[in-house]
Amino acid sequence: MVPILSILLLTLLGGTVLTFASGKQARWVALGTSIVFLFETFYLLDAYTAWPGRAGLYAVPQYSFSESYAWISLPWLHINYTVGVDGISLILILLTAFLQIATVVYCWTETNRPAAWFGLVLLTCLGSIGVFIALDILLFFLFWEATLIPMFFMIGYWGGPKRRYAALKFFVYTHVASIVMLVALLAVAFYAHAASFDFADIFVATHSPGFPIVTQALLFLALFFGFGVKFPIVPFHTWLPDAHVEAPTGGSVLLAGLLLKLGGYGLIRWAVEVLPQGLAHTSWIVYAVAFASIVWGSVLSLSQRDLKRMVAYSSINHMGIVLLAIAVYSSLGLLAAVLLMFAHGVVSGLLFMASGSVHHSFGTRDIASLHGITPKAPVLATMIMVGSLASLGLPALISFPAEFAALLATWDRLGYWVVVPLLILVVTAGFYLWMMQRVLFGPPQNVPEKAHDLDVYETAGMAILVALIILYGVLPGFLVNVIVNSPVYGFP
Amino acid sequence: MGAFDTLFQWAFLVPLFPLVGFVIVGFFGDRMKKAEYGGWVAVVLSGLAMFVGILIAIGEALSPGTYTDASYTWLNLPGTQSVFSNGFSLVMGTLVDPISALMLVVVNVVGFLVMLYSIAYMHHDQGLPRYYAELSLFLVAMNGLVLSDNLLEFFLFWELVGVCSYFLIGFYYEKPSAASAAKEAFLVTRVGDVLFLLGIFLYFATYATSGGGAGWAASGFKFTNGNTPFLGSLVGSASSPTLTIAGLMMLAGAAGKSAQFPLDVWLPDAMEGPTTVSALIHAATMVAAGVYLLVVVSLFLGFTADDRLAIVAVGGFTTIWAASMALVNTDIKRVVAYSTISQLGYMVLAVGAGFAMVGLYHLFTHAFFKALLFLAAGSVIHAVGTQDLLKMGGLRKSMRVTWIAFFVGAMSLSGIPPFAGFWSKDDVLASVYSQVGAHPLYWPFLLCAFATVFLTAYYIFRAWFLAFDGDGSRDASLPHAHEAPWAMRLPLIVLSGLALVAGLFAFVPSFANLLPGAGVPPTYGTTDLMLSATSVGLGFGGLGLAYLMWGNGRVFTLPADSPLQPFRTVLLRRYYVKDAYDWFGLKAVYGLSRAADFVDQYVIDGTVRGIERAFSQLSDAGRRLQTGVVSDYAAYVVSGLVGLLVFLLWIAPWLVRSVGGG
Repeated sequence: MVPILSILLLTLLGGTVLTFASGKQARWVALGTSIVFLFETFYLLDAYTAWPGRAGLYAVPQYSFSESYAWISLPWLHINYTVGVDGISLILILLTAFLQIATVVYCWTETNRPAAWFGLVLLTCLGSIGVFIALDILLFFLFWEATLIPMFFMIGYWGGPKRRYAALKFFVYTHVASIVMLVALLAVAFYAHAASFDFADIFVATHSPGFPIVTQALLFLALFFGFGVKFPIVPFHTWLPDAHVEAPTGGSVLLAGLLLKLGGYGLIRWAVEVLPQGLAHTSWIVYAVAFASIVWGSVLSLSQRDLKRMVAYSSINHMGIVLLAIAVYSSLGLLAAVLLMFAHGVVSGLLFMASGSVHHSFGTRDIASLHGITPKAPVLATMIMVGSLASLGLPALISFPAEFAALLATWDRLGYWVVVPLLILVVTAGFYLWMMQRVLFGPPQNVPEKAHDLDVYETAGMAILVALIILYGVLPGFLVNVIVNSPVYGFP
Repeated sequence: MGAFDTLFQWAFLVPLFPLVGFVIVGFFGDRMKKAEYGGWVAVVLSGLAMFVGILIAIGEALSPGTYTDASYTWLNLPGTQSVFSNGFSLVMGTLVDPISALMLVVVNVVGFLVMLYSIAYMHHDQGLPRYYAELSLFLVAMNGLVLSDNLLEFFLFWELVGVCSYFLIGFYYEKPSAASAAKEAFLVTRVGDVLFLLGIFLYFATYATSGGGAGWAASGFKFTNGNTPFLGSLVGSASSPTLTIAGLMMLAGAAGKSAQFPLDVWLPDAMEGPTTVSALIHAATMVAAGVYLLVVVSLFLGFTADDRLAIVAVGGFTTIWAASMALVNTDIKRVVAYSTISQLGYMVLAVGAGFAMVGLYHLFTHAFFKALLFLAAGSVIHAVGTQDLLKMGGLRKSMRVTWIAFFVGAMSLSGIPPFAGFWSKDDVLASVYSQVGAHPLYWPFLLCAFATVFLTAYYIFRAWFLAFDGDGSRDASLPHAHEAPWAMRLPLIVLSGLALVAGLFAFVPSFANLLPGAGVPPTYGTTDLMLSATSVGLGFGGLGLAYLMWGNGRVFTLPADSPLQPFRTVLLRRYYVKDAYDWFGLKAVYGLSRAADFVDQYVIDGTVRGIERAFSQLSDAGRRLQTGVVSDYAAYVVSGLVGLLVFLLWIAPWLVRSVGGG
């Protein structure tokens, strides 16, 4: 059997190294790597016909394309290189592949140390892929940390005026969370007397009857914090708007599109699947945090003046819905969570690209000083419109099926509490529409002479995402059928 | 199997033709040699859609039945422990039945005529391709909505017609008022939409667990099972608080779309869009979608008695609420817009009282005479370049066709026989009257509806007299008016004809099959005749009052110190409801957001920064770390990683072993 997942990693690893080394031609190497990687992902999706299934709710989930090699073997410690995927990881790998290629195309004209820039883009994707396929605690953690470093440099070197502050804040915040997460994961392994750091061994250990509920609940909360900062959850969210405002456009796309998803994925795979009892006994805390994030993110978006800050706060809102869908702990909810992560990745990627282009073309992202950009930049205006409408959950665009499933799952578990996220949908529509009214429409004012529409690379990068938004909005079955072919289906 | 199933399976062509138009005009319209070419493409394709739509209606009229074509599994959802234990699929398909066939006729006939009219009306506008692309997209969505065979598909297209309406209201996007009106329309209907979505959840959850509902869930929540409603046995019999709330949520959704009180504020403002858009979307079709939703729900899902009372109350009250605001308005389009809200109230009233078909009957006739009124108003605006009634005057001489067309529309709206509006409005009043014995609480709303007949005739003829009577423009600066070109005249003539005879269709035996069931066509017993006489009398009364006050003679006017003047202000300010909404949005919600932003920056983030400052003051090393040199940060990052590895490989295991005894 072909070790396809390792090949996937090696493709990106090789591509990254080559990109770093190839000077001015870096973008071609990066593009080539992205295309190869995308086709490998398609192959993976095609080969992933069905999830092998699982005997019952408490039986160990099986993962496809799995590989396992002993790495560190001490009498008291067994660390393996274990990788494998299910429908959830596959969807997120697909998201990574699409975002990577769109980002490379969008940033095509980057002139400030292009080799380093494209290398870091690929490195971020490499780390994310690693996180999505790793089935060993240490391996998972290494990849997890590996995503921080390129993002740190992207913000810190290519970022805006306050980039150093933002980069450090991003790093310290997520680093602290990483340490808590790691310690909690190790504690899970040791307290549950897992035979190794492998996911399967940990799963068996935590599902054995002897593992005390209180321990599970406490460990779950620690993991919830560790993964939650990445979501980000209120009140640990303030790093996100700052990071986005200072990050370069490509960095924002990857940060919102991919890095936030690591939190969601980690929570599902390493907290909920491993410690379902822990979630069951602390769910009210998770619900409270989810509702707080949903409300806070949306309400704050309304008063943001910076386009990017607005999109950043709307990310907090959307990831809050993801968290809610995870917290309801049902097949439907998990399906919705994964679908919404994919949707948010694509949509926020588009919106951050558009914000970056607004800044590039009109010299500012300040909503209050932008007026009527449509006549000068009709294509850009269309992109903003598609992104906004998708983000506010218009049917036939990608977020709608995800939000529909998420809210239905919430109704199923929490009844009329679903009114809270439902009414917040109106606020979300409100801030997007109000932004469009001010930025896109009305008589043009303060439009600089040199303002221009998108160039061909910007257009192409965004067009990829727009195509996905419409394609998967009209035909969400492609994604859904992959996700339900996964242990999600074994959930209550 | 019906006789025309082979025809009905081509129903998907009706939305497909405009979709082709949307793609062609949307992507290539800008590159065509002349902007009109794109327009003509859209006109022809909508004509084809109309042709198929009419064929389907004829098929249904000759051989009524239900044809479903469930073709595409849209979402395959896993089960859950609580309600949807077996999982369920959402299947998108088409449903052709008598009422959807009727709606196809309404949508596509008016759609085609408006598209044709626009060729001349929008001639001078920039962005003609954009206009035709958006209009075509609207027809796709509206036809999709009509042909939906389940509630979720209905909702999907429902939102799409909403967004098309948003685009078209904001067509003149450089005008701040248009941009604002577009946003307002989207947001206000959005309130209804999210409640509609909640209602869908409630129906799914309720019926998926109850007796006959398991099959319903497995079917993907389809409206019909063969020739009967899927929940046939449950309709009407089921009654629970959840179902009542679900019904109320449907009402909320309908109120948003059909601009019923209290979600009616957006429709008058939506007149910022081109008049053609007002005629098609904000008079004949999209705003009627709310009524159609209530019809569909009452046929296939069922309302409880409490729901019905709420629907009657909303509809009945809206008739007089909107009509009163039309009394004083001087904008020709807004007068017609208020009349739309008011007439939609009649339809809602009828559906609420249990006469879905009567509501649909009025929807049918209203679509034609209201589109006619709007297009006639558009012809006037096209000629004189203003919407202010007080500036116009004397247009009857220069615009014969428009003058007569507006008259036909006004007579029909006022419910004067034999015009179309008479038959359907009369049927609404008679049906509701037949229920007040059993439901005395319907009385006040029936009285509202009757009083509105008088007001309606008054305000619409006031507009007619102001625009067309007199010796000439009251504002001398207006251009000399001329009759509209043929592309505008033809739709006016066709619609005038329809506004004359559309009401009589219900008396044609086969055609009546499209309105199956209670009360259509009206029977005209003694009571009915008395009611008719009353409503016609009220109509003529309103007409007469309008003549006395605004006609050539101007027998009397309201004195400036009349005690009625304060009411005038209240009406012009639209009962201050819009002001209240603006206050709520701008002051309350936005203010809350500003306050929350302050908390976010200075309390939540402030705490973080405080901790950080404490740390960096605590140790000099901390400050030295922040050197601002990237390579230093890199070293910091790497050393952090190394430290973690050390911790991971040696310290943590030791710790855990000593603590946990592992």
